[in-house]
Amino acid sequence: MATSYKLTRLKAGRDYIADNFQTPLSLADMAQQAYLSPYHFLRVFKHTYGETPNEFLIRLRVEQAKKMLITENYSISEVCEHVGYTSLGSFSSLFLKQTGMAPTLYRRKLWALSAEPFCFPARAIPACYAFHFLGK
Amino acid sequence: MITSIAHATIYVLNQDEALDFYKNKLGFEVGDDMKVEGGFRWLTVYPKSNSQLQLVLAEPKEGPMFSKDAADKIRSLVKEGAFGAGVFETENCQKTYDALVAKGVEFMQPPTEQLYGIEAMGVDNSGNWFSLVQR
Repeated sequence: MATSYKLTRLKAGRDYIADNFQTPLSLADMAQQAYLSPYHFLRVFKHTYGETPNEFLIRLRVEQAKKMLITENYSISEVCEHVGYTSLGSFSSLFLKQTGMAPTLYRRKLWALSAEPFCFPARAIPACYAFHFLGK
Repeated sequence: MITSIAHATIYVLNQDEALDFYKNKLGFEVGDDMKVEGGFRWLTVYPKSNSQLQLVLAEPKEGPMFSKDAADKIRSLVKEGAFGAGVFETENCQKTYDALVAKGVEFMQPPTEQLYGIEAMGVDNSGNWFSLVQR
């Protein structure tokens, strides 16, 4: 367990991650906020919180992505960018690992759970089909 | 540069019956099944091993793009077998053919050697024919 002063530093590092998870973050960036070496920050963080700084970062990003996939009409690429990833492949792989399903499938499943028959936005359907069948 | 095809349309006579066919007979997964404005049902399926191409099972109905006459004509053509759903690939045509026949899928041609592989030709429960090909 971290001592009191180390815990204060760790919290600063953790808060920094929480405040900036939507931007690219390196372990060095995080550790710098805690005035610890990257290796030491990683080891104490894991020991204290039960997850590595990177696992914490991924968890925050995936949680935010899940919210955006359900409540917003952003494309998967846009969600990927909004939560701090530059590679759609990396984002999709991490999302799959965390949730057990790809972002597109997650969105579909959640939408499909709704019992309301008319609540799905036409934008969820490719425009050519929406135009063809819905006239919009 | 266009890199792939995401959706292709199969006109079906009844979406519930088509879903039963593609899901329970052919073993496809359901991609989307949701109703949107105006009661339109967005229904897609795909083979279990490949979700890259989703097949849209669409009922031709009077609407923004179809007059009643046009919708009726398309339905009539579907029934007549004027449209093809496309080519479905399999690792073993004979085995898949046998399994589908056992499930009641109708075939117009059993597995036959062709220049490009072994091909059987079946028909869905709307009247759309499809090839089943082992390359």
